[in-house]
Amino acid sequence: MNETLASRFAALSGLVLAAALALWWLGSARLAIDQGADAARGSADALHAAWLVRALLVPVLALRVGALRGWRDGAASSLAMVVPSWPVLAMAWSASAVPLGQSLLAEGFLVVAAIVLPLLGHGLRRVVPRSELAEPIASALGVALAAALWLGHARWAFSSAL
Amino acid sequence: MSRRLLLLGLALCCIGPASAEPRIELSAGPAWKGWTRPGRTTEIDIRLQSDVETRASLDVATGRESVGAAVELQPGRVARLQIAIRSAPASAVSVRVTPGPPTARDVTLAQSESPLLGVALATGELVALEGFHALALAADDLPRNASAYSSIDALVIDAPTLVALDQRQLGALVAYTADCGRLVVLDAGAAVQRLLDGARGCGAGAVTSARSLADAKAMLSESLATSMPPTLSLASAGALARPGHAAWNAIAVSLAVYFAAAALALVYLPALPVMLLAPALATAALLALLQGVHPQSQLIVWSEGKSAAPLARYQAWQRFPGIVRERVRVPLPPQLGAAVQPCEAGQAMRFEVDASGARALFAEFETRLFRQVALCYRGTFPMERSIAVAARADGSHVVRNTGGRAWPSGVLLAAGRVHELPAIVPGAAANVAGEARRPAADAALRLASTRIRIDQTAALWALDLSGVAGAPVDSTGWLLVAAAPAR
Repeated sequence: MNETLASRFAALSGLVLAAALALWWLGSARLAIDQGADAARGSADALHAAWLVRALLVPVLALRVGALRGWRDGAASSLAMVVPSWPVLAMAWSASAVPLGQSLLAEGFLVVAAIVLPLLGHGLRRVVPRSELAEPIASALGVALAAALWLGHARWAFSSAL
Repeated sequence: MSRRLLLLGLALCCIGPASAEPRIELSAGPAWKGWTRPGRTTEIDIRLQSDVETRASLDVATGRESVGAAVELQPGRVARLQIAIRSAPASAVSVRVTPGPPTARDVTLAQSESPLLGVALATGELVALEGFHALALAADDLPRNASAYSSIDALVIDAPTLVALDQRQLGALVAYTADCGRLVVLDAGAAVQRLLDGARGCGAGAVTSARSLADAKAMLSESLATSMPPTLSLASAGALARPGHAAWNAIAVSLAVYFAAAALALVYLPALPVMLLAPALATAALLALLQGVHPQSQLIVWSEGKSAAPLARYQAWQRFPGIVRERVRVPLPPQLGAAVQPCEAGQAMRFEVDASGARALFAEFETRLFRQVALCYRGTFPMERSIAVAARADGSHVVRNTGGRAWPSGVLLAAGRVHELPAIVPGAAANVAGEARRPAADAALRLASTRIRIDQTAALWALDLSGVAGAPVDSTGWLLVAAAPAR
């Protein structure tokens, strides 16, 4: 996959993810309106889901592309995955009761991760110069990071529910 | 030097009194001697007095609701406000006044699990009624807001106490009787009897007059054995409203346009700055779009009455669709503002009332996109519909206008079916026959059919709400009148 194609693929994935999210959020909001209910709960769920899915995808993508194509391409691909959801998230935030600071912090975390993690991939490539070895290591590291995030999130959600 | 000191002293002496804060005396007491029932409305009687002329801001908070009022205070004069509030589970009402040093009073409400019987007799006697908690009341314990009568379940009052009521108390009592409130009047004179006759609702079954306390007790027991027409639930009128999809449609179309534009940009302009800038610009454009959308509120009025009754009971429901996250302050229709509350008990809201506390002028609440905050109003209005219906063997009905005013066309509900009802002038009759339909097709007809007995005949008309000042453009209303059987 060449440089442009990798970014395009990431952007397309980000767009498809955003479209799926928009469909879900608009559907739940329509149901809430028709039933005379508040769409805030569904909107907060949509914000949460959007953050979680992108937070799981970014480490895998950023480390892998960073290791294969360098920091610039890694960051471009990761940002192209994160950014297309913003219009949907802005609308979902408007319909939710989630504090603005919390939403901005979550998006900021994703942007920082999209910029910093490719650096890690790039550093890995420096340590392991062979691409056929660096690629699986970067992918495995990305998956491990995503799994750690998932577990941490699940533990946080469990302790919040108690 | 001494001259400067003198000037300084003079300045300090003059500035001192000017900057002194007004001393405001505040007292607050609840109606019904502090008794109410969970979730019902009661009233706080507030007295304010200031040593200087000032404009005071009053705030009464209970649960998630608060009521504010701006009061002009004159030195030496007591300003009195009676503010209707919903009883909170905590039963504590805090009243605060600014400016000046923080002045606050806590008013404690007692919430009774048993039905409450108000006994307002000049002799101070009590009527014991099984299952009821009886309250001995003086004239001043009775509220000025009709909505506060929801705190009690029945009232016994004698003529001397009735005479001692002020104009607003009397108005609230009349509204209570019109709203099917159970009332027994002891030793009612001819004038009082005429007044109550002109106002009593529910076929006059709820208001009676007695000659002695024993009679009053017997009549009350008899009245309690008869069930009154059930009050329409707060959400019922809301069920007649059409969901507002304007904002949802605008957002769905905008997002579709964004996705189409982003996909095209990805194909034809695959540069990174475009891919990053397009969503950021779309976000800004969508947020700007929300600022430009102003959906109108929707008002639904449902009213009911009995043929030839002078008053109809109404329940109104007004929905304010939200667009952006903000605190909004909406004006309330003046004719409906006397008894208003949020339709959802948990909704945080602040009402701004007039200087007497009798009428809510504005409501303030937090809103957001797709949030539909609804306000519920209730009360009575004068009605002039007198209808007599006779059923024929062939299934048709002869409908006669026995009143003094012509009707517009409407629908007749009889035996679970709906017939078109033509406009009829006073004294005239019409034979209602032809194709009858089931009420299932229309939400208003469905609601109407649930509000009458199966053997009862009623007419339903659309209400003309053009006379309701401040009513939104999207306003709809109905009047359901139960017919009297033809002689």
